[in-house]
Amino acid sequence: MKALIIDDERIARQELRRLLAAHPEIEIAGEARGGEEALPLISQFAPDVLFLDVRMPGMSGFDLLQRLDDVPQVIFTTAYDEYALKAFEVSALDYLVKPVAPARLAAALAKLRPPAGRSRMEQVFVRDGERCWLVRVADIFLLESEGNYTRVYFANQRPLLPRSLAALQERLDPAAFFRAGRRHVINLKWVERVEPGAAGNLLVILRGGTTVEMSRRQSARFREALSL
Amino acid sequence: MGGWGAYSAIGLWTAVLENGWRPSVVIGYILFFAYSIALTHMLRSVIQRRHWISLPLPRVLVRLAAASIAIGAVQAILVVGVYTAIEGRLGVWSEPSSIVYLFLGVSFVAAIWAILYLAITTMRHTHEVRRHEMQMKEALTNAELRALEAQLDPHFLFNCLNSIRGMISEDPAQAQDMVTRLANILRYNLQKDRSHTVPLAGELEVVSDYLALESIRFEDRLRVHLELDDAVRQRTVPPMMLQTLVENAIKHGLDENPSGADLFIRARFDGNALRVEVENTGSLTEPRRDSTQIGLANARERLRLLYGEYASLQLTSRGEDRVAVTILIPATA
Repeated sequence: MKALIIDDERIARQELRRLLAAHPEIEIAGEARGGEEALPLISQFAPDVLFLDVRMPGMSGFDLLQRLDDVPQVIFTTAYDEYALKAFEVSALDYLVKPVAPARLAAALAKLRPPAGRSRMEQVFVRDGERCWLVRVADIFLLESEGNYTRVYFANQRPLLPRSLAALQERLDPAAFFRAGRRHVINLKWVERVEPGAAGNLLVILRGGTTVEMSRRQSARFREALSL
Repeated sequence: MGGWGAYSAIGLWTAVLENGWRPSVVIGYILFFAYSIALTHMLRSVIQRRHWISLPLPRVLVRLAAASIAIGAVQAILVVGVYTAIEGRLGVWSEPSSIVYLFLGVSFVAAIWAILYLAITTMRHTHEVRRHEMQMKEALTNAELRALEAQLDPHFLFNCLNSIRGMISEDPAQAQDMVTRLANILRYNLQKDRSHTVPLAGELEVVSDYLALESIRFEDRLRVHLELDDAVRQRTVPPMMLQTLVENAIKHGLDENPSGADLFIRARFDGNALRVEVENTGSLTEPRRDSTQIGLANARERLRLLYGEYASLQLTSRGEDRVAVTILIPATA
């Protein structure tokens, strides 16, 4: 697995490298001293995992994640058990406190998912006020457009992401995410049943009970796609 | 006691001068002295139990008058009774006006006694209350000062331990030095019984240990400049205040200039006052972190509690790309 180490202190990066030497399955693709330096490295190497310091001068770890369209798996490293990490509600992440205990590192590495074909967006970082989520795209059942923002539905959360629905959909797997109408994109894997609507369109009932009304045009497309 | 003693003695003296030594007169005056003392003692316990000193003045005056009249009446009856019992006749008391004079006289003395007693008790009480208030205020100020004292940033502590862990294999001698410096800082921080001010020299030692460790962590990104007038080293400062200002300066300096920031620490006399300045690369337009705001507000409050309005803390812009915090501490402390 390709990894990137992001920490503003050289000695801290060096120390993590030394600890990771015991784990040959992790290949360190590069190091960055902060968010600014990490951005080009992330697009260049498409790492599977980031070892990310939370508190860094300039662009913090969270600031960096917000700038990423597609967030790789993240293992946060922090000097102190911060409230910021407790703000994570649904966490597809782990974090290590510095100095890092080798056993703790091994446990965090064991939780990593094997690298998938990284052509499609896998997770997204959402910050809504004080709360943060690293959401796996597969857990999102509905995306709802609100102007230039998109409301992301997963678990029992529905935070707002500062990106347009069109921009988001571009990055999503078309086999899984279907445009239900002008304002909604649904995750087909979450569809429980489909009912005929009043105006010749379809009503999609998702697992968990959310009902989305499809536009007539998209209903026709949906029927077409299913019959195929 | 003295009052009644003097009253009885004067009474006895005049009686002896008029009539010569007679046992009945002497016994009468000794008894008078004894029951007068007993009566005022009773009054004293009533005043204490009923908390007369906390009553409004008009109500105290009414009670005082009533008590004096009651004591006067009892004394008059006793004086006449004892005299009649010893002498076997009313004698001088057969004249009602003399009884009235006796009654008024002893009532007056009882009233004077009660007023003096109340005045003295009230004065003592006020003094006690004031002393207690002062003690409370001092305890509160102490607690406030302790609460405002900055604690070591846990981020610094654990980052530093992490650097040491890394340094152990990279440069063992350096790692040893780092442990010693960190120990100094921790010892200084864990002193719970230190006073509210410490010599600047001691604070500077800890700050220089801190800076040495930060320089190892941040390497060439942190450039420290010290401009210290040696004469100021013996002046006292609140502990951990300079340390906190330095921490903030490093944080802001590097936040705005991740590639490298300058830090200036200056201490000199400004007239009689001690002037300490911590300046860093940066600008005031950048929003200050909440923690910094609180840190500065706390430092300001500590200065106010310790030195009153004569001390100050100011955050100012210096030219295009510098920010400075200046504290002024008067000579009095």
